[in-house]
Amino acid sequence: MRIVCPFCGERELGEFTYLGDAKPMRPVAGASEDEVFDYVYLRDNVAGETSEYWYHGGGCRAWLKVTRNTLTHEISSVEAAAGAGAAKVGA
Amino acid sequence: MAEFSWAPRSSLEKALVAGAHGARGIEAGVSLTEIRNFDLIQVMARRGKGAELAKATKARFGVVPPDAPKAVQTPDATLIWSGPDQFFVLSKGGKHTMLTLAPALSGPASLSDQSHARVLISISGAKARTTLAKLSSIDLYAGAFPIGAAAATSMDHTSVTLWRGGDRPDELAVFNLLVFATFAESLWHTMLDAAAEFSVDISHSEELA
Repeated sequence: MRIVCPFCGERELGEFTYLGDAKPMRPVAGASEDEVFDYVYLRDNVAGETSEYWYHGGGCRAWLKVTRNTLTHEISSVEAAAGAGAAKVGA
Repeated sequence: MAEFSWAPRSSLEKALVAGAHGARGIEAGVSLTEIRNFDLIQVMARRGKGAELAKATKARFGVVPPDAPKAVQTPDATLIWSGPDQFFVLSKGGKHTMLTLAPALSGPASLSDQSHARVLISISGAKARTTLAKLSSIDLYAGAFPIGAAAATSMDHTSVTLWRGGDRPDELAVFNLLVFATFAESLWHTMLDAAAEFSVDISHSEELA
């Protein structure tokens, strides 16, 4: 598998580290215990398109948001995660 | 009170043995040169200050810093891309150190002195590309990786900053790489193993390629 880093171009999988599902959003302060439990522990086991965080640690050290199909491993989009590169923040 | 001696030494001081290495009886296909005593400052734009940093860099060096994997040469420094909104300033002779760069760039950027934190290795020769092809998945052929091209990548699971410098007088390509000092010896041995079959000419120098 290769990932096309938006900063570096196409690179082999060995340069990247997988973090996990990019979907869960941190609940607001004062959220219920159920919402926090859901955020911390519960993950969807998606058969199909899913978005994930990957870290290009063996390259430019940017966090990336990758849209990947878990059935075909086809990657349909790779973008910089929020906070990757100072110029991207709030852009 | 104990006396300390803080004389800087190369991380390759023991591993690097100048002279011929590997296959005998053939002309050296690879030249491996460690470049010592350089000044290296990492410059990282503060949040949202990428454009401001580019402006301040232009005012200081006369060129804008690379915003893609490239190395930009100025008369007395090389600006090497190391990631989004960050780059290295490589120079020598104390021209661009923390002391001189901080007043110009520390407004829009964080600066960090990496002079003794990295080892700089220059690889050239007729078999340089073949050697690097064993260690790197980057396409280094002339059309794909021209002079001034750079890459933040990994070799032998070790993070490196690689860029192509100006050609040698005999027109052969020169590849420069910066590696973390503590990983340098390990990568050095890997490179020697990869190059041994082509015969290696090992040296160290104080001159930036």
